[in-house]
Amino acid sequence: METKTEWEWEIRPEENWFRLNLTGLWHYKDLLIRLVRRDIIASYQQTILGPAWVFLQPLFTTLVYFIIFNKIANISTDHVPPILFYLPGTLIWTYFSDCFIGVMYTFTQNAYIFNKVYFPRLIVPLSTLLFHSFRLSIQLVLFFIVYLFFLLSYHDVHPSVYILLFPLLVLMVAGFSMGCGLIISVFTARYRDLDNIMQFLLRLFMFAAPIVYPASIIPEKFRWFIWLNPLTPLIETFRTIFFTGGRIHTGYLLISFISTGLILLVGLLLFKKHEIKIMDVV
Amino acid sequence: MLFNQSEMNQTIIKVENISKYYHLGTMGARSFKQDMKRFFTGKGPDLSTLDQDNSRDHIWALRQIEFEVAQGEVLGFIGRNGAGKSTLLKIISRITLPTTGIIRGNGRIASLLEVGTGFHGELTGRENIYLNGHILGMKKKEIDKKFEEIVDFSGVEQFIDTPVKRYSSGMYVRLAFAVAAHLEPEILIVDEVLAVGDAEFQSKCIGKMKEASLQKGKTILFVSHNMEAQRNLCQRVIALNRGRIMDIGKPEAVIAGYLRSESSQYLQQLFESPDEAPGNDTIRMRRVQLIPGYRNQSGVIDIRTPLEIQFECWFHTDNDSDLMVSIQLYSAAGDCIFETVSPKKRFGNGLIEGVCHIPGHFLNDGSYYVSIAFMKNFATRLYCFESCLSFDVEDYRENSDWYGKWNGQVRPDFPVVLHGPETSEI
Repeated sequence: METKTEWEWEIRPEENWFRLNLTGLWHYKDLLIRLVRRDIIASYQQTILGPAWVFLQPLFTTLVYFIIFNKIANISTDHVPPILFYLPGTLIWTYFSDCFIGVMYTFTQNAYIFNKVYFPRLIVPLSTLLFHSFRLSIQLVLFFIVYLFFLLSYHDVHPSVYILLFPLLVLMVAGFSMGCGLIISVFTARYRDLDNIMQFLLRLFMFAAPIVYPASIIPEKFRWFIWLNPLTPLIETFRTIFFTGGRIHTGYLLISFISTGLILLVGLLLFKKHEIKIMDVV
Repeated sequence: MLFNQSEMNQTIIKVENISKYYHLGTMGARSFKQDMKRFFTGKGPDLSTLDQDNSRDHIWALRQIEFEVAQGEVLGFIGRNGAGKSTLLKIISRITLPTTGIIRGNGRIASLLEVGTGFHGELTGRENIYLNGHILGMKKKEIDKKFEEIVDFSGVEQFIDTPVKRYSSGMYVRLAFAVAAHLEPEILIVDEVLAVGDAEFQSKCIGKMKEASLQKGKTILFVSHNMEAQRNLCQRVIALNRGRIMDIGKPEAVIAGYLRSESSQYLQQLFESPDEAPGNDTIRMRRVQLIPGYRNQSGVIDIRTPLEIQFECWFHTDNDSDLMVSIQLYSAAGDCIFETVSPKKRFGNGLIEGVCHIPGHFLNDGSYYVSIAFMKNFATRLYCFESCLSFDVEDYRENSDWYGKWNGQVRPDFPVVLHGPETSEI
């Protein structure tokens, strides 16, 4: 019997670390697009307002923040019009937490598919990320409309040239949420306790980032701590480049960039290493 | 176009020393402790248990499996539930990893362990064809090209733009299979998908698979309990038992050997105490027994022999509850010959006895097994004692010149009467 010495693939008891198999991923790009499409279509089936919810959600949230944190609690907004101040924080936070939670449940919610068919599992969290990015981009249109209105009618809004950093900021939020989500997904698949802990921590984490307050109200002594949160420089820079036009904290931004990169890398490797083995315990 | 011999002989998959360990029991604090230990010591499961029986806390679903598959071959897998067939296919499909061993291969694999994986109820038939196709590894261009064909094959053109949640289950399965049937990988892995459809659907599937292997040179790995399909489709069959390969070779020989090993007569089971009896909190079996009404002293059940199935079980409910018992008779190939159900009756706690008569001159010769299901009503099954009895029915013929296998699953003695001009001479 003729035997080949070259084999195209092999299956071993352990997946290799450091083999992300990007060509395999590319083969399934159509699946990626189709999954995003599925999520978009499915999320507006049998709703009356349909896509309008994408706008209404951040608008209502902003309004609630405005009433509670600004009018009632009287927390400063750094001389930025309150509605404008809360909007980017809301958008970025919603984007972060939606992506994070979505990615975190990759294994548990797709077990019925993962138990029947093989494809690079990374496609699923990527599709989650793209789906929420799609929603974010629609919401950003809303933001720009509101922003233009204030820019033209209100004199205290000063955009800066660093506005060009904006796409990078969004990418970093995406990378950070994806990285955290991937790491946690591997553990939640095995230990469901983490579900509850994560939901709780996420709620706390929201107050550890300057979403409903400006970072400047934190006492000098603890400020560095808040700034080490990778989300803080992102949200603060967002506000600076659009509203106040002041100087940006390059150092913290760099730290955020590096830590996001590391978290994403760890997440990808961990996910890839466990993507198949984990199904025995889901 | 048929493939020449040399191409047929090339090995496309090589399976070496594959074993699969499963940890049993629930995930909890204890397993967390073990995880931590495993993490720090880096030790996997104890390989020395490979030769032992499965224990309470682990099973070896596969044990040191080795075989090769040639290009263009259709290889079948048989074995009872839990023999490891599905686990093996899952490992080759990369759905789960082996505990030991290595599998090497060439060519793209598509696995069909289920039809319609990833179908989304809210999406239309059209959207689902693409979604499911992509999940199975097809590219958009491929699906675009075959779209009309897929829709034709499924026969649901009319509803192609309706969400599939409005489909009947038959339409749903047909659409799902239509997508799968148009997959064109080098290696196709199929697990029991035939079980979902009706006879027409099954023959359509088998036709499609035959076409793929004979005309297109595809390699197919195929699990099914349907022995006819195995005999029809496969060039070689592997019989698995408790995670090991028992037999490998030509279908006729392997299937016959397998059926023989399965059809050991099992005329009674008796359990003295509820603790060791099979069952659950509601039903515990005490006894099942098949009593043949032998005509002579031979002690052989033949087609004339009336049979009596007796069973006893302990019944336990919190308040009196309805009970129905269904007796199912299967041929060795797994086809259900009949199911007969007792009337519903109310019982309190205690021992319940039942009996069912199968008259003589009813079953054809062959091997049969019996399952007994206990139900509260038609929707709620309490317990099913599967394959609890098995027996062989031997042939018996009078006044017949025909020695071949008598056709049919049953062989009732319905007289056929002829009229015409008679002559007294022979």
